[in-house]
Amino acid sequence: MRIKTTREKRILIVKTTFRWFLYLLIVFLCFITMNAGTFMRPMLLIPVALCISSNTGEFRSAIIGAVCGFMIDLSCDKLLGYNAVILCIFCVIISLSYSLILRHRLANTLIITAVVSTIQGVLDYNFYYDIWGYENSSLILKKYTFPVIALTTASAVVVYAVFSLINKFLMPKPHLTIEEAIKNYEE
Amino acid sequence: MHDFFKSFRFKAILVLIAFLIGVMIFAVTKGGYSLSGASVVNTVTKPFKSISNTIALKIEANLDKITNATEYYNENQRLRDQIGMLNDKLADYHEKTAELEELRKYLGIKDKHEDMVLSEPCKVIGFTANDPFKSFIIDKGSDNGIKPYCPVITTEGLVGITVEVSADTSVVRTLLSPDLSIAAVSVNSGDTGIVEGTISLAMDNRTKLIHVPKENGLSVGQLITTTDNSGLFPRGYSIGTVTETGVDTSGLSSYAVIKPAVRIEKLTSVMVVTDFNGKDSSYYEN
Repeated sequence: MRIKTTREKRILIVKTTFRWFLYLLIVFLCFITMNAGTFMRPMLLIPVALCISSNTGEFRSAIIGAVCGFMIDLSCDKLLGYNAVILCIFCVIISLSYSLILRHRLANTLIITAVVSTIQGVLDYNFYYDIWGYENSSLILKKYTFPVIALTTASAVVVYAVFSLINKFLMPKPHLTIEEAIKNYEE
Repeated sequence: MHDFFKSFRFKAILVLIAFLIGVMIFAVTKGGYSLSGASVVNTVTKPFKSISNTIALKIEANLDKITNATEYYNENQRLRDQIGMLNDKLADYHEKTAELEELRKYLGIKDKHEDMVLSEPCKVIGFTANDPFKSFIIDKGSDNGIKPYCPVITTEGLVGITVEVSADTSVVRTLLSPDLSIAAVSVNSGDTGIVEGTISLAMDNRTKLIHVPKENGLSVGQLITTTDNSGLFPRGYSIGTVTETGVDTSGLSSYAVIKPAVRIEKLTSVMVVTDFNGKDSSYYEN
């Protein structure tokens, strides 16, 4: 562990602020592109929320999950709060998993994105199409839900790369203040 | 992990989730109006969405040219042949025009719709993400006199209905959706039915006229318009043309596949009918 100087503390604050600014900018960009055009598109906000959660504490993850979920609800014209609840819960689980057992690896991000987007997609299919007994509703699963899950999982590669880049330059390294170092030494 | 479940953070997260569920339940009771928070987000992001959609549509158009070059070439050849054929038919043009005028008088659509109060033209600012029924967002909302369940039209025909209205934006559910039922009639044969989307037809930009009496005069090419039975849509507005007819699987009634008069995926602007004769106001009470 390195000892943190006052100058480093200032740099840390600036870096953290800038990092969060970039996170929120990415969330905003993903939101405004969700309604662009008529083509099928990945649910970019899912890997984004998961990548942010993998780097933050549980409470902030819950907030980010709720915000991204609300944005998905608005973009996909779903009941407001529906995706917010789902992503909020998943983001807390992901945050805990990364702090306890998982390491920051592309494979982990891909697997987690695939699992979360599959659960979200299948729940969406069940609540919005299947339970209403629409004729040929399995077509939605085949032609929309699964392709969107595949696209979302594939998009996690790009999202992971972007977040790795941001974190590489702006994520604080483990530091100690002089007071913390002395306290540790005394203990 | 054990510490986490005992911590204040865990309790705070539970409160947050309870709040989100509360929002969800409250949203259900709003009867088609957006929550004020959603309205603010929609208002703030409206210009960005609009720009983003314009760019995406241009990219889509260019990609379409590249990926479908062979198809366009074949279509071009086919259209050349068709032009030759149409030139032959030009001789009959005046006769047909007179017939058309007669038909127009008969339909009298335009005259009959003088009662309609229309909104300003509304720009399509985005399409709902991954929606098989192609619902979309327009740039006018309750500030422009639009309410939930107002009919949405273009000069070509009926598009759908407003379902979620914010101050500055509204979501339009199209006639491809199975959640929208429209009382309809064939102008030619007078057969009535309900226009309701299905999943398989929506993927092909088609909708379906159902509950048509088994004994009917429906045939391919007939024009289907709205009737005034529901009080939700103005009478006599064009919905589309019949492309296929058949008997339901139950064998009790017939159906017709309808090609909508409007190409929904290519829409850039629409108008909302805020009032018309025969409107059932109970739909608009909240």
